[in-house]
Amino acid sequence: MSEPLSIDVRDVTVAYPNGNVALHDATFHLAAGTICALVGVNGSGKSTLFKAVMGFVKPVRGSVSLGGLSLREAQRRNLVAYVPQAEEVDWTFPVSVWDVVMMGRYGYMNFLRIPRAEDRRVAEESLARVGMIEFRDRQIGELSGGQKKRVFLARALAQRARVILLDEPFTGVDVKTEEAIVELLRELRSAGHLMLVSTHNLGSVPEFCDHVVLINRTVLAYGPTDEIFTEENLARTFGGVLRHFRFDESTIQKHDGRAVTVLTDDERPLVFGKGGHLEYSRRQEHEKVVEERAEEPDDK
Amino acid sequence: MIETLLTPLHYEYMVKAILVSGLIGGVCAFLSCFVTLKGWSLMGDALSHSVVPGVAVAYIVGLPFAAGAFITGLLAALGMGFVKTKTALREDAVIGVVFTAFFALGLLLISLNPSSVDLRTIVFGNILGISDPDIWQVVIISAVTLVVLGLKWRDLLLFCFDPNQARSLGLNVRVLHFTLLTLLSATAVAALQTVGACLVVAMLVTPGATAYLLTDRFGKMLGIASVMGVGSSLVGAYASYYFDGSTGGCIVTLQSAIFVLALVFAPKHGLLATRSLRHAAS
Repeated sequence: MSEPLSIDVRDVTVAYPNGNVALHDATFHLAAGTICALVGVNGSGKSTLFKAVMGFVKPVRGSVSLGGLSLREAQRRNLVAYVPQAEEVDWTFPVSVWDVVMMGRYGYMNFLRIPRAEDRRVAEESLARVGMIEFRDRQIGELSGGQKKRVFLARALAQRARVILLDEPFTGVDVKTEEAIVELLRELRSAGHLMLVSTHNLGSVPEFCDHVVLINRTVLAYGPTDEIFTEENLARTFGGVLRHFRFDESTIQKHDGRAVTVLTDDERPLVFGKGGHLEYSRRQEHEKVVEERAEEPDDK
Repeated sequence: MIETLLTPLHYEYMVKAILVSGLIGGVCAFLSCFVTLKGWSLMGDALSHSVVPGVAVAYIVGLPFAAGAFITGLLAALGMGFVKTKTALREDAVIGVVFTAFFALGLLLISLNPSSVDLRTIVFGNILGISDPDIWQVVIISAVTLVVLGLKWRDLLLFCFDPNQARSLGLNVRVLHFTLLTLLSATAVAALQTVGACLVVAMLVTPGATAYLLTDRFGKMLGIASVMGVGSSLVGAYASYYFDGSTGGCIVTLQSAIFVLALVFAPKHGLLATRSLRHAAS
């Protein structure tokens, strides 16, 4: 196993050939053992930043390095993996689940890309880890949305990458698979991996991301979710395009107490408490927060 | 009966034509799997027309036709890339403008030098009259193409399927792109000899498209396409003797017929199969 890897993005400015500056002076740093969300509206430069970290676009200024290695060197060592959005993949392509996972091993194979026993072993292990081993001979188009995601995650695992970028990993995925993927990401975090997740699903961010990077043409703020994912910062990031539901402004009264139900369609609601601090959907794992914020004896 | 069937094989020019067609058919078919999956069918058509001025100039000044064709083919590809990055035009418009420009220039050159080049040879192919030096050029092009594809097909497959993954593994995507483009121009030049500029694209698309309907594994797709390409070219060239018709026409008609059969009867993606599936569901 290789060393844990950090990401260093320094003053990255990306301009497209038509002169459009998609991102300017973006700077952030993430340590290994992190699940970090990349949050911003469409057109905020979110996918450009993603591409810059993957080396798909060359910044006109600034640098991206991984654990002190240049991006090229990190790629040459197979340290960076990418899990594409479902829309980016041609699902009618005549390849099987097994073929796709094997593509994660190309960097370890010789000039002819003929898999060795070790490559097959790692591919099998990766498929088993995402629970897709029995689908190995399926054509990729014959899978459900969640299964498709898991196959591409298995490819990243087979690549033995230390940094994994996931682009909208939960779009078109059922709740059960989403939980399974989150569980897997947590395991990878404990093993020292660094996951950068691009998502528009705000509610899911505090659920599984310990860090966030907020983007609007540049990096507005980055750091631990508890500190950065505040109402104020999000208002800056989204500049008024977020839909609001303020309890104090709404018809909710004291007698409603905790019997408030919040429903959304496909996105998790993001709920803030009094004074704009972040509320989590589950108290477990966040007992400390509950303790600190207690004002009245019956608050707990 | 057998005597009649063997007649074409008594003529050396027929034997040569049949074997060269088979070779070109096979190489084109192999490449056609990548062309159909990458969505480069129009590109294949464009390149096969763009090589015409090169072939014309080569014949006029007495150079190997492959050299001239190759140069204009690449010039056309570069031209398309240039126009595409410099304008907001859609890709099909760019391809349409550039390849017709090259083809028109070729037609003009040929019409100005009717003695050294025959228009019909280039546009419709003339495998029955192919000269030995031209055969050697075809054989060399085919051999190089088969070696490159044989060695690097996995990388090219990844490039077609998921260029981002190829990039993130540190593969040089630009080189892969250029390799595929070069192979496409090279085989287009070779196929020009057999079926002519107009029908090259059929050789570069139909076998792959047919095989795609019949399987959803890339390995099998390569096998089916190659067998179909070689078979239809051998049989088409052979049969053209009896029809006394165009060799290119025979080969491509045969390939199209096979495609139609696959379209109707393919076990999984065929019209009949999908219809019975729908019936079963209702």
